[in-house]
Amino acid sequence: MLFIELSIQGLVQGAIYALIALGLVLVYGLLRILHVAHAALYTLGAYFGIIIVNAGGHIVIAIVLSMVLVGLIGIGIYRFAYKPLLDKPPLIALIASIGLFIAAEEVYRIIFGAYGMSFSQPPLQQQIELFSGFHLSASRICVVILSVLFISILGWLAASTRTGVAWRATVSDPDMAASFGVDIERVRHINFFIGSALAALAGVMVALLSNLVEPTMGAVPAYKALAIIVLGGLGSVRGTLIASLALGIIESFGTIYAGHILDRDAIAFAFLIIVLMIRPQGLLIRR
Amino acid sequence: MKRKFNTLALAVIMVLTVPLSALADSIKIGFNAPLTGFAAADGNSARVGAELAVEQVNAAGGINGKQLELVVYDDQASPKESAPLAVRLITQDEVVAGISGSYSGATRAAATIYQESGVPYISAYAVHPDITRAGGFVFRTSFVGEVQGRAGAKLIGEMMGHKRVLIITLNNDFGKSLANGFKEKAAAFGIDILNEYEYSIKDREFGAIVSKVKNDQPDAIYASGYFFTAGPLVRQLRAAGIESPIIGQEGYDSQKFIEISGLDGEGVIITTSLDRDSSDAATRDFIQGFEAKAGYSADMVAASTHTALMVLADALGRASDHSASSIRDAIASANVTASTGQISFNDLGEVEKDVQVQIVKDGNWHHYAVISDRELLAPPTD
Amino acid sequence: MSYEITILSSMSIAILFALSLNLITGFCGQVSLGHAAFYGIGAYVAAILTKAGWSLTLALFPAAVTAGAVGALVGMASLRVRHDFLAITTMGVGFLFVGIVRKQDALGGEIGISSIPSVAFGRPGLLMLAMICMALFIILCIYIRRSWLGFAFESISDDEDTARTFGIDVSKFKLLAFVIGTAGAGIAGGLYAHHIRFIGPDSFGFVESVTVLAMVIVGGIGSITGVAVAAAVLSTLPLWLQFVDDYKLLIYGSLIFLTMRFAPNGISGIVRALWQRHHSP
Repeated sequence: MLFIELSIQGLVQGAIYALIALGLVLVYGLLRILHVAHAALYTLGAYFGIIIVNAGGHIVIAIVLSMVLVGLIGIGIYRFAYKPLLDKPPLIALIASIGLFIAAEEVYRIIFGAYGMSFSQPPLQQQIELFSGFHLSASRICVVILSVLFISILGWLAASTRTGVAWRATVSDPDMAASFGVDIERVRHINFFIGSALAALAGVMVALLSNLVEPTMGAVPAYKALAIIVLGGLGSVRGTLIASLALGIIESFGTIYAGHILDRDAIAFAFLIIVLMIRPQGLLIRR
Repeated sequence: MKRKFNTLALAVIMVLTVPLSALADSIKIGFNAPLTGFAAADGNSARVGAELAVEQVNAAGGINGKQLELVVYDDQASPKESAPLAVRLITQDEVVAGISGSYSGATRAAATIYQESGVPYISAYAVHPDITRAGGFVFRTSFVGEVQGRAGAKLIGEMMGHKRVLIITLNNDFGKSLANGFKEKAAAFGIDILNEYEYSIKDREFGAIVSKVKNDQPDAIYASGYFFTAGPLVRQLRAAGIESPIIGQEGYDSQKFIEISGLDGEGVIITTSLDRDSSDAATRDFIQGFEAKAGYSADMVAASTHTALMVLADALGRASDHSASSIRDAIASANVTASTGQISFNDLGEVEKDVQVQIVKDGNWHHYAVISDRELLAPPTD
Repeated sequence: MSYEITILSSMSIAILFALSLNLITGFCGQVSLGHAAFYGIGAYVAAILTKAGWSLTLALFPAAVTAGAVGALVGMASLRVRHDFLAITTMGVGFLFVGIVRKQDALGGEIGISSIPSVAFGRPGLLMLAMICMALFIILCIYIRRSWLGFAFESISDDEDTARTFGIDVSKFKLLAFVIGTAGAGIAGGLYAHHIRFIGPDSFGFVESVTVLAMVIVGGIGSITGVAVAAAVLSTLPLWLQFVDDYKLLIYGSLIFLTMRFAPNGISGIVRALWQRHHSP
């Protein structure tokens, strides 16, 4: 019983990790950039969500609007920050990204306040009884459902639309794709839009779970998502999804049974190091 | 190149050594707090609390006609920043004493500097046990974690009568020392500790702990944390249908906790320093003054910093001259009524005062009880 | 003078710390996002020893050896994973170090170690020691740069596989870079512990690793002078910027971002560009 409950909690956490890490792995697959500032977009998404709901908007509107706005800002970041650095060593973009992330956290603090924000009337707080004696709040169920939904949509887009095919072609060989007439810039824009929008979705979801959005809420996802995409094999979407869920569940059990030896972050990285030493290419070989 | 660099360094240092302000005939007090970075929320409350105290003292005529002046630096809650800033406050700004409105690490590092320079230093709310052990010039106006942990044990075991208790511990010096104090006295108050779970200060997601707590079915939960961890924790415990009473500490003590936890926060009880329903004038003035100045409700951090400033102002008024040693002696012999109650210090420089127990009722903190058992609350002496 | 001494001590330690990473990342091309762990190992070892009565000068040796030994282990990891994988693995090492220290009561756990003794001759003594260590490390860096070792490092940094075809024992040199670099960080950490005289797990976390990497990159990866200048400026930037109050970290973050965005070769790149413009016909 406890086993099932802990697994479900791990699944919820894993779904959140997946939403954040997907954007990161999309960017990495396309540009070979470790996009730390991605976590700043996740925070921004959460802020937008809370502001829209508190201004009287419905939670659905808040989610959609937040995803669109943050998606557009993601495109802006690509154009302003990363595009000029593409021909430089990847380390340059990584440090630029870290600088951007530090600055963004401070901008949030100065604009939205150091104390963070909460919903005045938090939506989706109903308790739903999944099976006898096990309650889960609607927001937790929503996290899982929305993640599955959006990830499936993404998979379908990649497999069956022209843009999706162009995207996959660009990831596997940009020069070849360009010679076949794929508009690479457009692919990159779409890539950043989708990745950032998913981060925004994760942000709103986490805001619903904890009812608190702080300037520094992106700090943990910023590096944990990096660990996840490395675990997943850097560039493999499927690997990233598996790694996210695995980490969510490992942390869930680790918090209870290994909490006295290692804290949550250390558990995640111990797992990462062990896997990498056994399989230097991550859980899945990139295809 | 090397030479160029040296000249540059020298030039920068010279610019820095120009005193920032040279207000004639004022008494300068050094103040460090985290105004930027992850701890900025508390740092700002601390600063407003300190500034309020300075305004109140100055409005009442200052110290023997001299005005107080606060020299404020941002330490980002980092020992790496606070130590050089303490040197700067002492040697460049020539403050007569310092106040820490910062967290443990930053305060502990600065305390070493104040002690070796022989300048009095009062820590407002940092809980690190070694702060006052820096030496005779260092004082603290808040409880050490152990004292509050013991008060928590009495509150749960004796006053509330719960026996099967679960501990959720925040993994830092604050949470650890609270847990130590609690465990030390738990048996004495008939408490049976079922289990202890730990979480890190960055966690806002407690799904796994919540599931396990539900499985343990405790009579009460003793959870350490700050408003930004405790708010989400309480919310998630209640959302899973756990009805057991939750007992916290001064880290919860902010209106923001109630904002985050919402209706789920109702009935949460904490041990703290500030009594919202106090009839005492010093406390009332502080609560009203703070709200007017800051635009939000007073919290423990602000009250403790306000208290530290008031203790120092009182000592400055009583000291025969403003030499470091007479100020130190005056602080050591303090017996002041401030916003967090009657304050005096033991030989180590630890505060001796009552523990206020507050409860969340109708969206506000309210009086629940006072614990004034001097033997139980005796701070460490060496 | 004591404020100047404090500042100069901070600078010297930061320069030593940054140059030690520069040896790994700049000279040999191996990215490390967990360098603060070795800084921390040095700090803990030195602090424990001086509290047991050792002199700091003596304690710096075991600090360097311990950090270097753990560095060798991580270096072995660098043989197995490359590039971005290595960056994240080293980041993991950093988190693991902090996670383990947190739970060790012998190391003070969450409480850390306080009342670390001051060194002989007090603050000026520490400054002297820090400057000597820094100077020795700078000399070592210059020597390596000019030697066969420097050539080997550089060719590994340029392209590992090509280096291998030259007959360079890539594994050996990578390990060596890690050992020297992490030992240097251990010394810097030992000095830091006696500069601030309080250490705790939070002082050696991810932020510290990123900060030191930023010094290396902003200075201009591989450049000794550039990295030294960047370390001196960035380490004390929060102190210079006290007057901007609320915007301090914002400026810090923006500065790192803008340097990368508009001058990706860092300070040394800017200087070189100016020099070339000045001296071109």
